[in-house]
Amino acid sequence: MTVRLTTEGTIELEGSCSSDEAEALLQHVLATPNATVDWRGCEAAHTAVVQVLMAAGPKILGPPVGVRLEKWVQPMLAANMPK
Amino acid sequence: MNEFLTQFLIESREFVEQATEGLLVLEQSPHDAERLDSVFRAFHTLKGGAGIVEFAAMERAVHAAEEILSSARSGKHALTPTLVGDCLACLDQVIRWLDVIEQTGELPSSPAESRADDTWLAEMLDSNPDVRARVTTALQFIPAPDCFYQGEDPLARVTSLPELLALEVEPVVAWPSLNSLDPYQCNLVLTALTAASMSEVTEHMQGHSGTCEIRAIGTGQIAPQDWVLPSQAREILSAQRDLLAHATPANFAGFIASAGLTAENVLRSCAHPEAAAIVAQATQKSLAESSSDSLRISIAQLLSSKPAALTENARPSVKPEAAAQTLRIEAARVDALVRLTGELTVAKNAAGHVAKLAQEEGNALAGVLKERHSVLSRLIAELQESVLAMRVLPLRSVLQRFPRVVREMSANLGKPLKLEIEGDDTEADKAIVEMLFEPLLHIVRNAIDHGIESPADRAARGKPSTARIQIRAARQGDQVLLEISDDGGGIDLERVREVAKARGIATEEDLRSMSETDIIDLVFAAGFSTAAKVTELSGRGVGMDAVRTAVERIGGRVSVESRAGHGTNVRFSLPFSVMMTDVMTVEAGGQMFGVPLDAIVETVSVPKTAIKGIGAAQAIVLRNRTIPVFDLASVLALREATPNDTAATIVITTMAGHLGGLRVDCIGERLEVILKPLDGLLTGIPGITGTTLLGDGRVLLVLDIGELLQ
Amino acid sequence: MDPQKTILVVDDASLVRLYYRTALEGAGFHVVEAMNGLEALEKLLILPVHLLVVDINMPHMDGLTFLEAVRRKNRELASIPALVTSTESAAADFAAARAAGANYYLVKPIDQAKLVQFAGMLCGVPR
Repeated sequence: MTVRLTTEGTIELEGSCSSDEAEALLQHVLATPNATVDWRGCEAAHTAVVQVLMAAGPKILGPPVGVRLEKWVQPMLAANMPK
Repeated sequence: MNEFLTQFLIESREFVEQATEGLLVLEQSPHDAERLDSVFRAFHTLKGGAGIVEFAAMERAVHAAEEILSSARSGKHALTPTLVGDCLACLDQVIRWLDVIEQTGELPSSPAESRADDTWLAEMLDSNPDVRARVTTALQFIPAPDCFYQGEDPLARVTSLPELLALEVEPVVAWPSLNSLDPYQCNLVLTALTAASMSEVTEHMQGHSGTCEIRAIGTGQIAPQDWVLPSQAREILSAQRDLLAHATPANFAGFIASAGLTAENVLRSCAHPEAAAIVAQATQKSLAESSSDSLRISIAQLLSSKPAALTENARPSVKPEAAAQTLRIEAARVDALVRLTGELTVAKNAAGHVAKLAQEEGNALAGVLKERHSVLSRLIAELQESVLAMRVLPLRSVLQRFPRVVREMSANLGKPLKLEIEGDDTEADKAIVEMLFEPLLHIVRNAIDHGIESPADRAARGKPSTARIQIRAARQGDQVLLEISDDGGGIDLERVREVAKARGIATEEDLRSMSETDIIDLVFAAGFSTAAKVTELSGRGVGMDAVRTAVERIGGRVSVESRAGHGTNVRFSLPFSVMMTDVMTVEAGGQMFGVPLDAIVETVSVPKTAIKGIGAAQAIVLRNRTIPVFDLASVLALREATPNDTAATIVITTMAGHLGGLRVDCIGERLEVILKPLDGLLTGIPGITGTTLLGDGRVLLVLDIGELLQ
Repeated sequence: MDPQKTILVVDDASLVRLYYRTALEGAGFHVVEAMNGLEALEKLLILPVHLLVVDINMPHMDGLTFLEAVRRKNRELASIPALVTSTESAAADFAAARAAGANYYLVKPIDQAKLVQFAGMLCGVPR
């Protein structure tokens, strides 16, 4: 699983997250509303996964290791976060 | 919701359905005038309705599609599958809008949806001042809501754009509460700025679903968007172009400056400030260079632009003269030329025949005649090559239909799919390109229906959830190679064996002595199908024999390779051009026939005793291989029994990997002929692939070895 | 709000000048008049003009001579769009006007609506 809830209560995104994981991520976020999302080990994430992050707007612990994620997706998420 | 909106919703949905149905039909038959008419009217009515409820964005979007259809109706431009796709994409957007209206009870007002054409562009450029100077192309991409099901990853697509400078992503409609969020509906609008050229960006975004607007920025290129240039504006622009053509050194600067300012003004008055700015730049450039070229090119681009949601742009270096490098010619005229060239070839052969006769009769002119004939031969060969080159098309014209096919099948079957196409600019004769669609469709359908496992199975096998289908084309010598591969489960050999036995295609013994390759090849046998369930999508699965027949009829070959558990490859090897065939003439039963040279392995002369009887059949043993022998004259029902000669001439042929021997009376010569396909009375005769005219005026029937020996 | 555009109407018939002035001022343009090419050249030096509406047949200096002169002046003046009007409609007349530097040509009589429409486009005023 590349999306998992750690024992500390953070939601970890690791490696390459495919579109299937979007549902799992959403469930985790619903179950633990204040959880931080840690995607420092994330190489790539399908749009569906990123979309959940946009909609949920959790605190995100980065930067992700994936180059494109770090360069484009992370700033984009930051720009979309409610101020 | 007010009564107008209610009525608008009901009617619009009806018209969208009518238009969609019609478009799908038009995709297959683009010349169905009635259908084109009805689709045009549907769009026209949709536009009218949008006008009444004052839904400007929808009016504009539908208008663009209406222009495409209007062009097709008047015969100005053909309705290509890409354009049909654009119209369908427009309808997708309309549906999304209608859904929002239904839910909210009012017209959509969220930023992404009611955005005027240029607002997104201006905003994006404004919010990224640091890269503004380097931007050459901007795009706004709204993927279809169900794009995830089609295996698309819009973010990946956009973040991998060449020379990406800036990216902004926003929701199309405000995010619902997390409880009711559907993570598999795409609700994003992606806006990007790049330093790549418009055609690079266009190509990069090919095959996506949804809508994509691409604009060229500030390099003197003009992006043809939904141009609504009134005719007076066109007249004025045209007049400026004429004016520039008549500039003399004395009044040069004045002509350029006033023509440029006039063009700029016209564009501004028609609400195209972007284009006006570009013309202004072109004017400056022309004045600086003392050449009217830049400005003339700018104006020419404006006048030739067509409305569409997504179109290619000419590169900056294209001069107006470049347009003359291609000509549009009716296919019928090229075909007439090909026929004429064919007849020239026959005439050439006839002359060759006479030259030979002259030689045999010891005619003094024989030598000269032979020489002249060989010059003629060479020239005609060159002519033929040129003419056939005119009939050549890129495979793109048939391959570009497949993204939609794959998209729909993926949605219908619930199997996420990705289609990769490589080498679609590979060219082949028109006849080949046209005949390829059905066979390819069948193979792709088979792959998706039977080869690719369900998502659950794939997950269980540790395969990526999105299955991959690749179509690769390349030219190799005088052959065109086409390969369709999938990463499904490959061909189940055991099942093939079972079915072959069950359907009497092969016996247990046969199967035991067959190699894996041979067994896989059985899928091409008539009457074969391994579908556990005949699905509506792939039909009866018996099409593989039709595929092979179709391919071999034009002189190609098809084979299948399977890697158990990993996938299947289907390979086509097709001639680059169809028309010339090498044949060897043979005599049988007092008549002459042509045998395609590429079906002939060798010819042998064997003593009568070498022919063994095996039951009712006959065979010879050649280099330890048993080859069945057929008496050609008997097969063609020209005589009853085999003559009692002491020696037999046998032509060893190969078809689909199997060897066969044709016993003939004698062997003639090698000829290069243009094969005329069968028509009229001859069509029903089995075993004949076509006819050609010989030099002495006789008609030569060219045999279809495969059919003959079945 | 776009600044007001000025149109210079050059025609020797006062009735024609009145007819055009009424139409153009009604559409929001500022109108200046001249009776022939010489007077028009003088007017050009006084105030900025955004469009020339020039008749061909005039005494002292006809429209085309005037236009040729304008097109040879400094950049600012030479770039002013020019709409040439004439009673003649032969191809040779169009060509002559073009050779003098006309950006567009309308055959008289020109109705007011058409004049306003073309004037608007040539000046860059939104439709």
